[in-house]
Amino acid sequence: MDQIINNLQQFWEYTGFANITFQHILMICIGLGFIAMGIFKEWEPLLLVPIGFGMIIGNIPLYPGFSVGIYEEGSVLNILYHGVKNGWYPPLIFLGIGAMTDFSSLISNPKLLLIGAAAQFGIFTAYSVALLLGFEANAAGAIGIIGGADGPTAIFLSSRLAPDLMGAIAVSAYSYMALVPVIQPPIMRLFTTKKERLIKMKSPRAVSKMEKIIFPIVGLLLTAFIVPSGLPLLGMLFFGNLLKESGVTRRLAETARGPLIDIVTILIGLTVGCSTQADKFLQMKSVLIFGLGAMSFIAATAAGVLFVKILNLFLKPGNKINPLIGNAGVSAVPDSARVSELIGLTYDRSNHLLMHAMGPNVAGVIGSAVAAGILLGFLS
Amino acid sequence: MKRYNKFICTGLFLLFQLTLYGQNVIDLRLNELLITNTEDFQDDFGVHSSWFEVFNIGYGTVDIGGCYLSNDPEDLKKYTIPRGDVLTKIKPRQHILFWADNKPYRGSFHVNFTLEDSRVLILTSSDGRTVLDMVALPTDMEPNQSYGRVVDGEGSSGPYADNSGWAILSRTSPGTNNFSLDGKSRSEMMKETDPFGLLMAMLAMSVVFLALIILTFVFKGTGRIALNRSQKKADAYHKTQKVSLAETSGETFAAIAMGLHMYANENEIHDIETTILTIEQVRRNYSPWNAKFHSLRKMPEIRKK
Repeated sequence: MDQIINNLQQFWEYTGFANITFQHILMICIGLGFIAMGIFKEWEPLLLVPIGFGMIIGNIPLYPGFSVGIYEEGSVLNILYHGVKNGWYPPLIFLGIGAMTDFSSLISNPKLLLIGAAAQFGIFTAYSVALLLGFEANAAGAIGIIGGADGPTAIFLSSRLAPDLMGAIAVSAYSYMALVPVIQPPIMRLFTTKKERLIKMKSPRAVSKMEKIIFPIVGLLLTAFIVPSGLPLLGMLFFGNLLKESGVTRRLAETARGPLIDIVTILIGLTVGCSTQADKFLQMKSVLIFGLGAMSFIAATAAGVLFVKILNLFLKPGNKINPLIGNAGVSAVPDSARVSELIGLTYDRSNHLLMHAMGPNVAGVIGSAVAAGILLGFLS
Repeated sequence: MKRYNKFICTGLFLLFQLTLYGQNVIDLRLNELLITNTEDFQDDFGVHSSWFEVFNIGYGTVDIGGCYLSNDPEDLKKYTIPRGDVLTKIKPRQHILFWADNKPYRGSFHVNFTLEDSRVLILTSSDGRTVLDMVALPTDMEPNQSYGRVVDGEGSSGPYADNSGWAILSRTSPGTNNFSLDGKSRSEMMKETDPFGLLMAMLAMSVVFLALIILTFVFKGTGRIALNRSQKKADAYHKTQKVSLAETSGETFAAIAMGLHMYANENEIHDIETTILTIEQVRRNYSPWNAKFHSLRKMPEIRKK
């Protein structure tokens, strides 16, 4: 009888009910919140649903030593987490992004690239503030990259510069990417006048196939020679785009932008969510990271919009750029471009900005990869 | 025929070089040595013997097994480093230590010569001909004094190495770095030199802008070339009437193309009433899975009347 009672007692100790803490409950609630945002609000559901569910999985209270938890060597989740920890997943996602991105709007109007560069200002604003708050330079760099609004880049950089902060940085980056439609519009309205919001841009010219093929090759050579440390991201992005534009590797391009990116998105979302285990995640640092991430995002949006206004001072009347596409310089593709379109339509029903905003949007992807390369070069 | 031989020889030479690169043994360097050992590092048997160090300068693991060590330029294959020993794999930027005690029976890392009576130390690749690194041994060394590369792996190397980058070291460091940093990481130094991150922000933003400005100019140039080419084509087509393609938007082209398509293929025009759904029969490709022929248990026979 004693044996049975002992076994039952041991079984109880193994259950989640015996090991649960307030922190676990809080993290599970945050996970549920993410799932709700993804399903009911449809804010980045492809990311928020896996991350939210991962948060629930990662915060089921476990009795340690069963090789089940994500931080336990040899567990299934731990093996899948290697792709995040060692930075394999982000370049694969970039391959898919390259294979699904049409750079035509950028090629037809190359000066939009500069908006993508200006929006990276958010990264370095957050870097400076993080240093002032006492973070080490490598951690500050990893936190700053949240302002690039690029989840894979944030994971890639934080896995190299500050692996212990990666969970908080990744969740923060993806959360703010999901909240693009909420965060950006007030900033865009704040920094623009009604007259500026009504600017109609010239239709982009038709881009030849040869130009589209040259773009990824020249783009890679130029950016990677300047910032070789960004090679895993830039190389895969431009390679994916060449697969798409060459026209002779359709099957490869379809795999890269379809099944491959879907598989990696599932794995990255789930494991990043799992990595937010309460005892590792719920710290004062995480709260600061969330605050800095928001600031970085706001600064990046404002920098993009203000840069367009400055650029307009030097442009002829017919060539002016609508500052509402400045927000798209952060690389949350294509959500920030969609925000430009929606805000533009509220002021003029016939002013479609989506195609124009896609230019700075994809330039933002290149810009954030270059910025990540610079941070890696200086701080690793 | 002689010309072809030249090509074949060049090809074989390149292939051979590629093989060496493939093995990464090209990344191996002789790094430090101690000729007279009376009170320095002891081997596993507790004996003071002369020793030397090989360093992997690369960022991938290199297996030194199968390579040769020698103190005689006339006999490069004097000591064969055994293959199949897990310890002969040198991790990235790591060292491996050999004992020059003329007692090869004591293990893979004990060679069959000593440094005390040697003038030179040579590391040769597994082909037995390609000298990976060599060093002329100095004659003016005090006992327990080591001679090595000032910075690990740096300096002259290969068959014509002239000992540049080598010097008598202030301390011996068998199996570890000859030169070590003061312990501060780059990010710590960065924080010290730029506590508010302003320098970093300015530098990094300049680099980001530089990269994207170059891209802007390059694609403006390629765009102009593309426009000029298409303009020339259009000019050649409309010899009398010039059409400015530069000012024509993609939407205009799309509309013209759609109009032409609908004009040329009248049958493909969509139903006039847009509420009618047109369903076309889809041709099914042959597949053995849906062929009745394959599901028959017995082949049908034609009855003869």
